[in-house]
Amino acid sequence: MTYDPQADALPVSRPAEPGRGAAAYRIFGETLRGMKTTFGRIVEGPTTVQYPEDKAPVYPRFRGRHRLHRFEDTGLEKCVGCSLCAAACPADCIRVVAAENTPELRISAGERYAAVYEINMSRCIFCGYCEVACPFDAITMGHDYELSDYDRSDLIFTKEMLLAEPVERAPLRAAGE
Amino acid sequence: MPRPRPRPIRFSIDGREVEAAENLMLVDAAKHGDVEIPVFCYEPKLGHPVGACRMCLVEIEGIPKLQTACSTPVKDGMVVHTQTDRVREAQEAVVEFLLINHPLDCPVCDKGGECPLQDVTFGWGPGRSRFIEPKRHFVKPLELSPVIAIDRERCILCYRCVRFSQEVAEDYQLVLLERGAHSYVSTFDGHPYVGPFTGNIIELCPVGALTSRPYRFRARPWDIEGAASVCTLCPSQCNVELTVRDERVMRVLSRQNDEVDDGWLCDKGRFAYQAVHVDQRVTAPLLREGGELREVSWERALDHAVGALARAGARTGALAGEGTTNEEAFLLGRLLREALGSPHVDSRAAAALPAGLHRALCHPRRQATVPDLEFAHAVLVLDCEPVDDAPIIDLRIRKGVRRHGLRLAVATSRPSSLDANAALSVRFSPGAGGAFVAALAAALTGADSEELAERAGADAGSVSALAELLRAAEDEEDGRREVVIVWGERLAHGALADQTIGDLVALADALEVHQAPGAGLLELPVHANGRGMREAGLVPDAGPGLAELGPGQAGRASAQIAAGLAEGDLVALYLLHVDPLRALPDRPAWERALAGAATVIAHAPLLTDGLREHADVVFPAEAYPEKEGTVVHPDGRLQRLRPGIAHPGEVRDGWRVLAELARRLGTDLGVASAGEASAQLFAAVSFYSGLTLEQIGGRGLRWPEREQAATEFGEREAPPAPTRDRAPEHQPPTLAGAAANGALHLDSYRSLWSAPEVQASPSLAFLHPQQRAEIAPADAQRLGVRDGQRVTVCAPTNGQPAAGQEGAGAREVQATVALRHALTPGVVLLQDGLERDSANALGDPGSAVEVRPE
Ligand code: SF4
Ligand code: SF4
Ligand code: SF4
Ligand code: SF4
Ligand code: FES
Repeated sequence: MTYDPQADALPVSRPAEPGRGAAAYRIFGETLRGMKTTFGRIVEGPTTVQYPEDKAPVYPRFRGRHRLHRFEDTGLEKCVGCSLCAAACPADCIRVVAAENTPELRISAGERYAAVYEINMSRCIFCGYCEVACPFDAITMGHDYELSDYDRSDLIFTKEMLLAEPVERAPLRAAGE
Repeated sequence: MPRPRPRPIRFSIDGREVEAAENLMLVDAAKHGDVEIPVFCYEPKLGHPVGACRMCLVEIEGIPKLQTACSTPVKDGMVVHTQTDRVREAQEAVVEFLLINHPLDCPVCDKGGECPLQDVTFGWGPGRSRFIEPKRHFVKPLELSPVIAIDRERCILCYRCVRFSQEVAEDYQLVLLERGAHSYVSTFDGHPYVGPFTGNIIELCPVGALTSRPYRFRARPWDIEGAASVCTLCPSQCNVELTVRDERVMRVLSRQNDEVDDGWLCDKGRFAYQAVHVDQRVTAPLLREGGELREVSWERALDHAVGALARAGARTGALAGEGTTNEEAFLLGRLLREALGSPHVDSRAAAALPAGLHRALCHPRRQATVPDLEFAHAVLVLDCEPVDDAPIIDLRIRKGVRRHGLRLAVATSRPSSLDANAALSVRFSPGAGGAFVAALAAALTGADSEELAERAGADAGSVSALAELLRAAEDEEDGRREVVIVWGERLAHGALADQTIGDLVALADALEVHQAPGAGLLELPVHANGRGMREAGLVPDAGPGLAELGPGQAGRASAQIAAGLAEGDLVALYLLHVDPLRALPDRPAWERALAGAATVIAHAPLLTDGLREHADVVFPAEAYPEKEGTVVHPDGRLQRLRPGIAHPGEVRDGWRVLAELARRLGTDLGVASAGEASAQLFAAVSFYSGLTLEQIGGRGLRWPEREQAATEFGEREAPPAPTRDRAPEHQPPTLAGAAANGALHLDSYRSLWSAPEVQASPSLAFLHPQQRAEIAPADAQRLGVRDGQRVTVCAPTNGQPAAGQEGAGAREVQATVALRHALTPGVVLLQDGLERDSANALGDPGSAVEVRPE
């Protein structure tokens, strides 16, 4: 049997060709409608953010670079080095090495503390799972999004960097903004 | 007792018809139907179930109340439900109950992530607790021992640890104190829980109540990788799983292999991994320059070694020990025999044995296996102390006695820790093991044994009672007799080694061990891979595969190597994982030998006395977690070592160094990888031929079970031991030469804790023994010494000044007196294998020594 390419071709249904009037509307009418939006916005003034002189404000729940926290009263670290954040991290970019608190050297409130706590920011996907996993609210996502550097190894944030009071560079969006 | 032969039955679980062996506990039988029943206290390794936790409740039709699946044997036609509302309610109630007082501090708990309580709560718990009352509190964490931390708040009172201590290790130290919610695990008097097997309770505990102190907070289950290997710190060769994080061994867990270790480890195996990562580890080649060992490049160290070996040529001796793999032993043999033309290699401490005797000993029909120890009708422990020589064997024997009604006989020169379990214990004089074997063999064959018993210093009546016990160890039903003889390599350390081994083989044949599959001999070698090194040909009078050597090819045994070095017949010594001062008998002779040797080349991971003072070149050696190769278990099982971590520093593989040395000496061994070394070994050893590493796999492979072995050694009968043409020459023990007062017979043993690895491990070092002179109270009174007093034990000096021996190696040791009631009067028991004051400075067991108060 010879192959007939027409035999299994599906019929294509097309709408009727537009008339002249419809074609004219398409060309001018729709364009004018778009221009209306454009001109309407022009009177509002420019919205371009002059980064880096100006910074875009972020929402309070924006997930930027992490912060580790201390208890305000005792100054002890909240993190106990349990590694749950490391287990939750889908990018596998947290490394925790725990050690034991001694009466002479008490770092955290629990029996153990994080001797090493590192987040590789060049790997982090800012999913916030670490924050969800932490049983002590020791790690939260901050607002800082300025995370570029000249060297990849500088993007491995250590515990000291994460604990330090960050310079809040990203403005928060005000309510209703 | 015969091995159980399970009868298959059918039962129904959750509506599924399932086949299982009768009397299997329901928990295990349910697995045949893919049903998981949660458990806490059930652990078949611990023996009979106790039903302490009630987690495993199930509904069985025809029984009104819920039943514990862990202690209900399955019967034909049983109908079991695990998914009904009643069962679910019970499970939730039990979890809720267990959690009432549980602190739930998972984030700081070392068990977190691998915790059965977490898993069961997640899988079968109610999800929410109704209890708002305050929880019970304990001080935590406490030190149960220097290696175990106990957190009593987390304990769910499952009894596993207590059962282990009471019924497996039989040290009876752990108990539950107090009542009700206030119960807690402790030792009876609050002393630390110290023993050879304590670490196992860490793995047994289903919660984080018992955790390892060296592993404390080191890693989480998701931070680590498991690497399978085999522990080579003693001949038991337990299968282990190394926990590795960042190329460091973090802990050692058991990798249960019932044919080898039954799922237990000793504390040496479990905690001595710390010695892999200590600062004193040798990680770069060392060369002696200006009297001091200095780190140098590999190039210089190799050049120096090659130069010295080339100069020495056939006047080189080589010794290997401890965890030397078969491949290393084989290549060392080739290096010496082929590249240097020297036949002087040894891996044993005793006089040389003819190849025929070696082969008679390892004949597959005479070989017992480790599980045989459990099911035999009788076991004879002959001149060895399993708990020190191969601790896991000790646990197997205890299990056999406790659970399978094994008749245990102990024949040793010193009190044994198995005496309490034994049906019969016989003592003989120190060093008279050979005579004792001869006497026992004579008694079994009906010959006159009395005179020999007397020479062995044993009671003739006991010898015949022992013979009778062994002969009568028969099955009531089929009359089969399965007797296993566990003997220590040190039995044959005397001058009459070949005679003793011949008698031992005769003894085994008199008991017809070759007729019963579960009977035979089981040797506990001195070195962890003693058997493998021998089979790889590292003995002076047999080649690879224990093949006969051609005439004139036999070399010197270790003692003659020492003599040769001292006298200048030999000039160089190659030491692979062995320090003769520590591991071999007759320390003074070895001190003279090492001082006399022009060059001493050693492979060692840790510097010990002899190497520190005498080695000229030290190559950094691998610790067992870094090794690749094979070892042979005392029952003939080939097992694979696989590298779990990378080599630290500049450490190189042992086979690579040996092959490189041979290449520079002009002989290409043709080995470029560890696999090639194994392939060469398998090709060279007749009864390994055709083996591959894949066949050995993770569980090992017993070569005596291979067809090859049957063809080579003969299918049926084991041939008798090669006959000797000498009459027994055993001499009765004598104290000739010793001063009349204070003369005692020396007896010695090597403690489990004497290994350099134990000494180097921070949290085990407390167990490393100090020299003790154990004597009977009567002797103490006679000598006027008290318990705890410092004494000097010295070899008799025949009136000459004690210093004697031209300074080198004074034959005396300092020790602390310990009174021991069970000890035979007239004997002083000292330890071997210590860094300082080791008993090998005095002489062989049985020689006369004097005890002098300081
Ligand atoms: S935000 Fe996500 S990717 Fe980044 S560290 Fe946390 S868990 Fe990992
Ligand atoms: S940040 Fe939180 S989750 Fe991560 S280790 Fe510390 S306590 Fe645990
Ligand atoms: S300490 Fe662990 S093993 Fe021992 S009874 Fe408590 S929970 Fe069980
Ligand atoms: S018994 Fe021997 S092989 Fe087993 S863990 Fe202990 S030292 Fe290692
Ligand atoms: S597992 Fe059955 S009662 Fe504990």
